[in-house]
Amino acid sequence: MTPLATIKTISFIALRQLWERKLLNGIAVGGVTLGVLVLIAMNGIMLGFSDKFTSAILKISPHVILFDTELRPVSPLLERYMQTPVAAQIAHESPTDRQVRIKRPYEIVNALRQVPEVEAAAPSLAGMVLLEFGGKTKSVDLRGIEVAAQDLVTPIHQYVKSGRLRDLDTSHDSIALGAGIAQDLGLKVGDSVRAAAPGGKPLDLLVVAIFEAEVPPIDKTRGYTTLRTAQTLLGRPDAIGRIEIRLWDPADAIRVNDSLERMFGYDGESWKETNANFLAIFAMQDMIVGFVVGAILLVGGFGILAIQIMIVLQKQRDIAILRSVGLRRSDILRIFLMQGVIISLVGGLLGDGLGKVAIYYLGQLPVKAEGLVKTDTFLVKEDPAFYVYGIGFALLVGVIASLIPAYRGSRVEPVEVLRGQIG
Amino acid sequence: MDRSDDVLVETRNLTRALGDGAAQQTILHDISLSFDRGQFVALTGASGSGKSTLLYLLGALDRQSGGEVWIEGVEMGALDDDDRAAFRNERLGFVFQFHFLLPEFSALENVIIPMMRRGNWSRSEAEDRGYEALRMLDLHELYFRKPGQLSGGQQQRVSIARAVANEPSLILADEPTGNLDSKNAEGVFQVFANLASEGRCTVVMVTHDADFARRANRQVRLKDGRVIEDSTQHGPTSVGRA
Ligand SMILES: Nc1ncnc2c1ncn2[C@@H]1O[C@H](COP(=O)(O)OP(=O)(O)OP(=O)(O)O)[C@@H](O)[C@H]1O
Ligand SMILES: [Mg+2]
Repeated sequence: MTPLATIKTISFIALRQLWERKLLNGIAVGGVTLGVLVLIAMNGIMLGFSDKFTSAILKISPHVILFDTELRPVSPLLERYMQTPVAAQIAHESPTDRQVRIKRPYEIVNALRQVPEVEAAAPSLAGMVLLEFGGKTKSVDLRGIEVAAQDLVTPIHQYVKSGRLRDLDTSHDSIALGAGIAQDLGLKVGDSVRAAAPGGKPLDLLVVAIFEAEVPPIDKTRGYTTLRTAQTLLGRPDAIGRIEIRLWDPADAIRVNDSLERMFGYDGESWKETNANFLAIFAMQDMIVGFVVGAILLVGGFGILAIQIMIVLQKQRDIAILRSVGLRRSDILRIFLMQGVIISLVGGLLGDGLGKVAIYYLGQLPVKAEGLVKTDTFLVKEDPAFYVYGIGFALLVGVIASLIPAYRGSRVEPVEVLRGQIG
Repeated sequence: MDRSDDVLVETRNLTRALGDGAAQQTILHDISLSFDRGQFVALTGASGSGKSTLLYLLGALDRQSGGEVWIEGVEMGALDDDDRAAFRNERLGFVFQFHFLLPEFSALENVIIPMMRRGNWSRSEAEDRGYEALRMLDLHELYFRKPGQLSGGQQQRVSIARAVANEPSLILADEPTGNLDSKNAEGVFQVFANLASEGRCTVVMVTHDADFARRANRQVRLKDGRVIEDSTQHGPTSVGRA
């Protein structure tokens, strides 16, 4: 009656019966393998894409931006007091008649640098300018920056392909341009380009650097000048329009953004809000992948269920023999459960192995894409958790699927089988 | 012959009904029997008289509708399902009317599975015992074969080896010689007769063979679920307690 003897007997029987039905059980294993393979491959693709996208965003975009829009707690109060929004509407200034800027920006920047979650902060001014070169014009999203401070927030210098970012500071009236703009206008480092914006003073700017972050939306629209140059160009002397912030952990962005808004009274936006559309698409894709993988694993589970039910029905006689020579109901139950676990474990391991191979080959697949992100190969990313999930889900499916057959098998009454044979 | 301590099996007013409601039919009526340790009992009767049913009740495979079955001081009806399985495993050996072997396992493996479950012996000890049991039935040379590679008679003898290898105190055999030629049938009869005469176990054997029935220690004849004849006799096997 030692439990060890029980385990030995049960596994002896379970393994042999599995082995003797290689084809059927192989099919069951195949179902699980397929489910796990798809789980890993799909998740690899999804993670690869969203990861690439996220890292592309975070490469050259700040984690949190404070804008020059003041949050006005007064209006809602007034609104509440009057019981109607009309009064608030009357009190509301139209955008044109107020000076849009962050007040005392350097105090805020210094205060921000003291916030524990904040790694770096830099003031800047953004605006659209028109570049003209060789008869071609292009509108550019211009950022006037403090070069050293900004580079700590968004490491632009890493992506400079030609020229030097620091030359922005040394040569007067200079600009760093995205590779896409440079290509469109046919610009090289050393060329001089005409820049103009409504309300500002047109300038001839020397191209000192060309960068390529491999994020097409940025490479094709972004230009950097010093803060002073941008203020002149845009006609907003001394104005700071935004403060860009880098956090130690980008995952904190939403929470930190909320507390910064409360702290400084300016409207802020985290990168997750800025890119909410895309992130929502990823969340939806994850859900779809979940459904697909769930469905395939479910089918794998039904494979185990169907095959085991069939075996239980076929093996009534064998169960009767085992019961009559002294195996307990629980032994029979455990034999079938063990078979389910082994099928799913083997399926899970095979799926993990094939999944790894699939991830490798998918990653080699040449794909030319230049949309949100730029890539030469299929985007996949491996995460060790995939393999744990793969085995985990396989086991879950295997155990659940074999519960019914195992229970049925354990309910077989030996006498009924024996009588049936005789009658 | 007052040997109450030598009584191995005793049934008291054992009754078994099958089916329910109007279709209910009593298959065994008030069977009161007792078998001594070391007795070789032949159970006879026409087809449908209830022999197999009685055997299943003696073997703790079936549950009685009334009465009691005592084996070595334990009442089978009082045991739960697991205890009955354990009891079968440790004290009983079955040989079924149709040789019942597990097709995936070799002759030897079929023989040792009950011993493995019992856990009293190591795997190699169990294999030695199983091999000995097969030798007793002259099958040791075929120990590695699967049931599909054995003749019907050989399969029947493997199932007998399985029943005896575990050293049960009671062997229940349902027409074990039914499918055997006369030479093999005689061999099987001798195996049971020897086990019983050595006092190692009690054998209850269902048989349609009048000769075997006569040569057993005792013959119990059933008709329509009742004992109609119970005769102690001296066959070629001595009773073993002279
Ligand atoms: N499931 C059942 N429901 C109702 N009656 C049954 C059932 N199984 C068997 N019987 C009846 O029980 C009676 C006893 O059957 P049993 O198998 O014990 O006879 P037996 O003496 O072993 O016959 P045989 O020599 O043919 O093996 C028979 O009349 C049979 O028809
Ligand atoms: Mg019968």
